[in-house]
Amino acid sequence: MNELHASLLDTPVLAVALTLAAYLGGMHLFERLGRPSWCPAVLIGAVLTAASLWLLRFDYADYQRNVAWLTFLLGPATVALAVPLYQQRQHIFALWKPILCCLPLAAMLAAFYAVLIAWLLGAPPVVYASLAPKSVTAPLAMGIQEQIGGSLSLMLGGLLMTGVLTTICVSLLARVLKVTDPRILGFALGVNGHAIGIIRAFELGPTAGAFASLGMSLTGVFSAAFLPLAWRLVGL
Amino acid sequence: MKLLRGFLWLLVFQLLGHVAVELLALPVSHSMAGLLLLLAWLLVKRHLDESVATASQALIPLLAMLIMPGVVGVFFVADEFAGHWTAIVLALVLGTFLSVLTTLWLMRRFMPSEAEEGNRQA
Repeated sequence: MNELHASLLDTPVLAVALTLAAYLGGMHLFERLGRPSWCPAVLIGAVLTAASLWLLRFDYADYQRNVAWLTFLLGPATVALAVPLYQQRQHIFALWKPILCCLPLAAMLAAFYAVLIAWLLGAPPVVYASLAPKSVTAPLAMGIQEQIGGSLSLMLGGLLMTGVLTTICVSLLARVLKVTDPRILGFALGVNGHAIGIIRAFELGPTAGAFASLGMSLTGVFSAAFLPLAWRLVGL
Repeated sequence: MKLLRGFLWLLVFQLLGHVAVELLALPVSHSMAGLLLLLAWLLVKRHLDESVATASQALIPLLAMLIMPGVVGVFFVADEFAGHWTAIVLALVLGTFLSVLTTLWLMRRFMPSEAEEGNRQA
């Protein structure tokens, strides 16, 4: 019985099946809960996965090693993000001036505020390196994390939380600042809240959705170039 | 076959990205370099190959599932960051609030308010 248990844990099949089941289960629960914006489907899926790992006495490092057969697809899927970016080139060309004025500054500040606050509160470098890519879409943020260090898990957890907080902050601040332009709201959601912000933006309408995708892609590409460079310059 | 051909193209660009990063010692990940190379290629060619479009449409919806195993890890590092959770939560909450505020303010300042929809904002 013990041997069976060990051999099952040692194949990629169980790890991959578990991941797919947890993800589909997460999606299902997410729909059942009425698509709550404060609790993305990935988070439910991650909780389900963690619970099954614990029940099966499956070591996280072993799980990670075996599930790499599946997560290998993250590489080509990241390259694939060039396609939607290419399809949005008209938006970029038409509004290059405001985008050039806002995007680099907004993307830099998104990282800077979090790093500064964590640093002021005495967090060690591994913590603020994990928080720096918090507004970058996950596949690109993982590339940044390879470069600047930090904890992958903390980084991804922070990413999810940032997405959720962004939808809350944008709804709140749009009311306070009386911003109703869907282009601005969409852009703010994408720049700060990556894929989770985009979901909210599409609820506001297709224009907001398109600008959110644009904001997310540009922030991702800009930060992937900027953050490792900044880290190298500051010498962290 | 279209899907496979497109998938192969994506892998080829990822490999090209790998080569570029290693040869030029660039501070970006291999797949990120692949993304930029594919984007440059599309912009130069001004044509999106149907097979590449098919493969990317198949893969992009899977991104959330593909990052999930990494997210799971956050439940296993709670002890590792004990004592820093206040800093982490404050940095995320306050940092996100400030950066959303800045983005909205910047965009309202620079976005041309005429054109397109009549959603003019002061």
